[in-house]
This record gives sequence, C-alpha cells and structure tokens, in this order.
Amino acid sequence: MTNITSKNTVIIALSTALLLTGCANQTPNLSSGNVEYGDSKAVETLTNQFGSTDLQSIAQSMSNSLLQSPALRAKSRPLVTVADVKNHTSEYIDTKAITDTIRAKMLKSGLVRFAVDTSAMQNQTDELIRQNSGLYKKSKSKKLGQMEGADFRIEGTIASIVKRADDVKDVYYKFSLQLIDNESGVIEWADEKEIRKTSNQSMF
Amino acid sequence: MNLTDVKRKINPMNWVLFASLFLTLNACSTIPSVPNPNSIPAKVEQLGEMSYLHVSHIAAQKRKQLLFVQAEISNSDSDNQQLFYRFKWLDANGFVIDNDEAWQPLLVYAGQQQTINGLAPTPQATDFRILVSSPDNTGNP
Repeated sequence: MTNITSKNTVIIALSTALLLTGCANQTPNLSSGNVEYGDSKAVETLTNQFGSTDLQSIAQSMSNSLLQSPALRAKSRPLVTVADVKNHTSEYIDTKAITDTIRAKMLKSGLVRFAVDTSAMQNQTDELIRQNSGLYKKSKSKKLGQMEGADFRIEGTIASIVKRADDVKDVYYKFSLQLIDNESGVIEWADEKEIRKTSNQSMF
Repeated sequence: MNLTDVKRKINPMNWVLFASLFLTLNACSTIPSVPNPNSIPAKVEQLGEMSYLHVSHIAAQKRKQLLFVQAEISNSDSDNQQLFYRFKWLDANGFVIDNDEAWQPLLVYAGQQQTINGLAPTPQATDFRILVSSPDNTGNP
C-alpha cells in the first residue's frame, strides 16, 4: 500500500513538473501583456488630428510628383536643399518629419542629390573646422571652400480648415510644396496634397 | 436479363477502376490555373476577397527610368466603399525592392471608378503588385 502511494506521488509530481514546463514562454518575447508592436504603415484613424497616415500620404504624393517634374529631369542628378515648411494650422505638426521623409524617398531613387539644409549646417561647419584644425593630415582631411551650392530648394506650407456642426467635426488639410531655382528665383514646380478627415461624435 | 445479372457480369475490379478515374478527374478540375503574368489577377494581391470593389484596369509605363502604374478601381455597390491600397515593387529577377510603402486610404463613391497611381522608388523596379484591402472583404470577421 505504501509502495502504491509513493508511486502515485511520484507520478503526480512528474506530471505537474511537465505541465509547468509546458506553460513556460516558448517565444523570444518578454511581455507584460499590455504592449504589442503594430504595423507602422497601417492607416491610423484614432483621432482627426494630424497623424502618421497623413504624414506618409503627403510624403508619398509629393515625392512622386517631384520625381516626375521636368525641372529635376533637365539636369542629371541636380542638387537640392530643403528649406522650411511653415505650419499654418492650429495644431502642432512636425513639418521637418514630412520633409525628411520626402528627402529620403527622393534620395533612394538615385535621381536627385541633396545638400545639407540650414538645420544641419552647424554640424557641417563644425566637422570641416575640426578636420582643418591642424590635428589631421592635410592629405587626408577635407578642404574648406569645396561645398557645392544647391541648384534648387524645396519649401512649402501646411494649412487647415476645421469646421464643426452638431456631432460632426471636419478637418481639411492642404499641404503645398514648391521647387525654386536658387539662382533665378523661378518656381519650377509646385504641387498640393489635400486631406479630409471627418469624425462623428454621436453616441448612437 | 435483370440488373442483378448485369452487376454479376461486370467485373468488380472495373467498379474500382471507374471510381478511381472519377476521383482523379474530379481532383484535376480543382487544380487552380496559373494566371497570365500580364493579367490583372497576377498583379493584384487581395487581403481577403473584396465584395464590391474591383480592379478593372491596370496600365504601366516606364517614364524616364521610373515605372509608373495607374489602376482603376470600380465600386459595384450602391453604397460608398473604403479601400486601402499600396504598391509593392519588384526587380527584373522577382526580388522585392520596396515593400515599405504606407497603406493609403481611398473613398470610392457608389458606382464610381477611381484612379490610383504608383511610381516606383528606384529605376531597378521593373514589376509591381498592387495590394488591396477593403473593410467589406468577405474574409473579414
């Protein structure tokens, strides 16, 4: 009887151990259960404020239009720089994030070159000064006075119109971008992207 | 001669052969045919069968080194439909160059035909796929 009882105990203990091992995490994921990764390219309609899909949509549309513009095709790999995109809306929008994405898409095409813009100019001059400080071999350091001036600059604005009626809120965004010849001041290309977002706050 | 006599005369092995032939022919009829690589079904990847939206026309052209694609979306419903779409670009060897485009939303009015455009990100792109999804897909829960 004692033998049977001790055998049963061993069997139960072994079974419990196997069950617990089965419950252990089999995936390389340490999670609290409250956080999960989503799709960065998904359409976001959480609120009617400026969102990731608006940024992606504007950047896609503007870069496609720019790459097809005759002005950028006239010369092989023209040099472009990015100037300000002014925010004329009532909300905070990081317009540099939009132009950074436009620049990345255009650089990927290999058809256009970009010069450092105003915000990165300090880093550029700091690096040149450092290389010409006397600490580097003259033959291995970059020379002062060799920077190239951009042929064109890109600048624009984003504006919005917000309207409310009963439970409906309508937000209309208009993003305008221009390509300007730096020497002549001629606007060689311009395009706009319009977005409308409507939200309904009805309880039923 | 009655039916029983007929059944006795026919060799039982023949029944097995007939049954096997029938099953084989049936299986052959369910093998999906490979779409023509230049047809619309070969270029469109649906995330679930779209109930009301259809890609009715696709045109592609190289415009100064970059592949430009235009597709027409038709709405056969009497209600407005929402479409999400994006382009996937492939090189001459079938490798995916860019599968990084964001999903674009598009409202298609009842009975409307809307046009969507895509421009390849690099001159290396020679082929494309249009990925489409609609909230009214039959595959949605």
